[in-house]
Amino acid sequence: MGRASVLRLLVVAFLTINTRVPRSWRHPPPPSPIEDESNELAAPPTLQNASRSPHVVEVSITAAPAQLAIVPGKTTSALAYNGRIPGPTLDVHEGDSVIVHFTNQLSEPTTVHWHGLHIPATQDGSPFEPVMPGERHDYVFRIAPGTAGTYWYHPHPDRRSGYQVAMGLFGGIIVRPARDPVPAPIQEKLLILSDNRFRPDGTIDFADSGSMAAIVDAENGREGDILFVNGQHTPSLSIRAGEVQRWRIVNASAARIYRLSVDGATLFRVGSDGGLFEHPEKVSEVVLANSDRVELLVRGDAAPGTRTALRALPYDRYDPHTRPTDWNRPLDLLSLTYSNAAPAAPVAIPSTLRPVAWLDTSRIAEHRVVVFTQGMINGKHMDMNRVDFTGRVGTTEIWEIENLVGMDHPFHLHGFRFQVLDRNGEPELVPRWEDTIDVPPHESVRIVVRFDDFAGKWMFHCHILDHEDMGMMGVLLLE
Amino acid sequence: MSTRLGSASAIALVLAASISVAVLARPTARQNEKAVSIPTAGSVSRPAITKEVVERGRYLIISHDCNGCHGGADPSSKGWLAGVSGPQDEFLIGPCYVTPGATPCFRTRPRNLTPDNMTGLGRFTERQIFNALRYGLRPEDTPDVEITSTTPGKGNFPLHPHYLAPPMPWPAWRHMPDSDLVAIAAYLKRGLKPVRNKVPDSEGPPDFWASAYTVEKIGSYPSPAFPTANEVGTMEAKRP
Repeated sequence: MGRASVLRLLVVAFLTINTRVPRSWRHPPPPSPIEDESNELAAPPTLQNASRSPHVVEVSITAAPAQLAIVPGKTTSALAYNGRIPGPTLDVHEGDSVIVHFTNQLSEPTTVHWHGLHIPATQDGSPFEPVMPGERHDYVFRIAPGTAGTYWYHPHPDRRSGYQVAMGLFGGIIVRPARDPVPAPIQEKLLILSDNRFRPDGTIDFADSGSMAAIVDAENGREGDILFVNGQHTPSLSIRAGEVQRWRIVNASAARIYRLSVDGATLFRVGSDGGLFEHPEKVSEVVLANSDRVELLVRGDAAPGTRTALRALPYDRYDPHTRPTDWNRPLDLLSLTYSNAAPAAPVAIPSTLRPVAWLDTSRIAEHRVVVFTQGMINGKHMDMNRVDFTGRVGTTEIWEIENLVGMDHPFHLHGFRFQVLDRNGEPELVPRWEDTIDVPPHESVRIVVRFDDFAGKWMFHCHILDHEDMGMMGVLLLE
Repeated sequence: MSTRLGSASAIALVLAASISVAVLARPTARQNEKAVSIPTAGSVSRPAITKEVVERGRYLIISHDCNGCHGGADPSSKGWLAGVSGPQDEFLIGPCYVTPGATPCFRTRPRNLTPDNMTGLGRFTERQIFNALRYGLRPEDTPDVEITSTTPGKGNFPLHPHYLAPPMPWPAWRHMPDSDLVAIAAYLKRGLKPVRNKVPDSEGPPDFWASAYTVEKIGSYPSPAFPTANEVGTMEAKRP
C-alpha cells in the first residue's frame, strides 16, 4: 500500500476523532431495585372457564389501561389484560374449542395474537384483523391435537406491538395433552420473563423520539434494565433438595435474549416452543430468544436451607455499534430457596416423553430464502398491501433463514410449527417443534414446515418487537 | 508499504498524531477522462455489464488500493478482497491507539467483499454496493432502492443513515463517475469467486457515524461547480 494512500485514508479516518459520541445515549439510571424478601413467585391466575360443556373453554379478556404498583411507592400507568401483568393464563387441552370474548378498552387498535397456536388465519390476531378501540371481538378456534406445549398471547397491531407489550400486554398459554407424560408428582411452574425500564416517577420509560436512546432502542430493540418473572422482580421460588420441578419458561421480552442457568441444580431440557421432545436432554444452560419457550425439569441439588438463583448470563446479541456497556453483567431472575426439609426421595426423569417424528421432506413444494438485514426482509420493509410469498395448503416447504448482520434476529412464523433441519449446514440430529428460531449474526438456519391447513395471510417476522414494528416482517399467502 | 499490518499500524499512528487536521482530502487525481461530467444524485447511468466493464472495475479496485485494507497483494493472492484475517488487519479509530483506554475508541474491520452469501456481498445487489460507494450507506441497513437525494428522509435516502465505518474513503470515492462505481460493483459481484470469511462487525458510535459524515466535514456531493473562490477559472498558466 502506498504511503500516499495511507495518508489519504488516515485523513478520512481522522474524521471520526471529531465525532461527538454522546456518552449518555444509554438508558437513564433506574429507580431503586424493586426487592421484596417475602416475594414468593406467584403463578398468574387461570382464565375462568364460563362454559359447562366438555371440551369447550369460554373466557373473557379485556385489554385496558391500569394503574399498577410496580415501582415501590409509585403508581405506574400501564396497559393490562384483565387488570394484571402478565395477563391471566389460558389453560386448555388439546382438542378443546376455545371462545375468547375480547374487549379492547385501549385508545388505539389492538389484536390478540395467540403465539404459536395452529388456528385459522382470521383468528390469529394478525395486523390484518385489528380490533378497534371500544370494540369487542370473539376469537374462536380449536386447539390442534398433538400441540400440547407452552405458548403465549400478546398484541400484534400494525406498528404498535412493541409499545403495547412494553406497557404490559402479554400472558401465558398452556396446552395440555389428555395424558401428560411428565409424572404428576412433579410440580409445574410457569415463568414468564419480561423486562422493562422506568422513569424516576414510576412511569414506563420510552426513549424520546429522535434521541440517541431512541436510535439505540430501534437498533437493539427496547431493553429494560429491570427483569421480571411473572411481573415480580427477583421473586423467590421454593424447592426441596432433591425435588424435581417442571418449569415452563416464556421469553416475553421485546428484545432481551436470556441465557439461563441455575446454580446448584441439574437441568433437563424436555421441550421447546411446540411442546415436549422425545427424550430429555441434560443441559447446563439454555438460550431463550424473544418469544421462545423452553420446558425444563429442574432437580434441586443444593443443600437444604441454602439459596441459589436462576440467572440470565451475558449473551452478546448486539450490533457492536449499540452494544450496551454493561451487556456482560449477569443478572438474577429469581432466587431458588431450598427448604430445610431433608432431601426428597429421588424422582425418576422419564427417558421417553412422546414420539416426535421428522416431517417428510421427500416432496418439497418450494424452497424459499428469507434474508434478514437490519430492519428488512429480503431488502424490503413490510407492506400490508404486498404479498411476499404465495404457497399452497397441503404442501411442505423448506425455508432458509439467513442473517447477514452483526446481531441476532429471532425468526417467527405465524400459525405453523416447524422443524429445524440444519444450522450453517450442520444437520440437527433430533426433530423438535419450533415456531421461533434465533438466527445469530452471519448464520443461517433451514427449517421445514408443513402447511396442512388454514388458507389466508400469515405473517413471518423478526420477533424483536421494535424490528417487527419497523417493518422487518413479510406476508405469506396460503391458497 | 509491504504488509497490511504495516499499513494499518501506520494509519492508526498517524491518525492519532493528526488530531488537528480537519479537512478531507480530495481525490488526488481524476481519471484522465476526456470530459468530466458532474454526477448528480439519482440519475445513475448504468452501462450494460460487459467483460470490459468488469475489467474496468478490477482496474479501479487495484488502482484505488481497495486490497490495501480488504486483503491481498494482487488478484492472484490468497484472501484477495476477502476481508480481515485477524486482529492485525483491524483499525483502531480514536486516540486509544496512543493512549490505551482513551475514548472514543472503536475497532473497525475491513469486510469481506467477495460475493459469499453469508459473509460477503453475495446477498447484496449491485445497486446496494453502488449506494455504499456513492453514499457511504451500509448495504445491510439500506433498502435496495434507487436513491435520488442526499437529504436524510428524502428520495429514499434513509432518515437515520447508517454509514460505513472509517477509514473506508467513500467521501472521496463517491465523486467517481457512475460508470466507475457501477464497474466496481460489477467486478465484486461477477468477477470474483466467493470466499467464506466471517468478519465481525465493526464497532462505532450508535449513530453509525452520522455525526461524522456531515456536509461540513466531508463536503457536498456533488462537489461545488468549478471554479469556486479558491480556484481559477481561466486556463492560463501562471508565471512565477
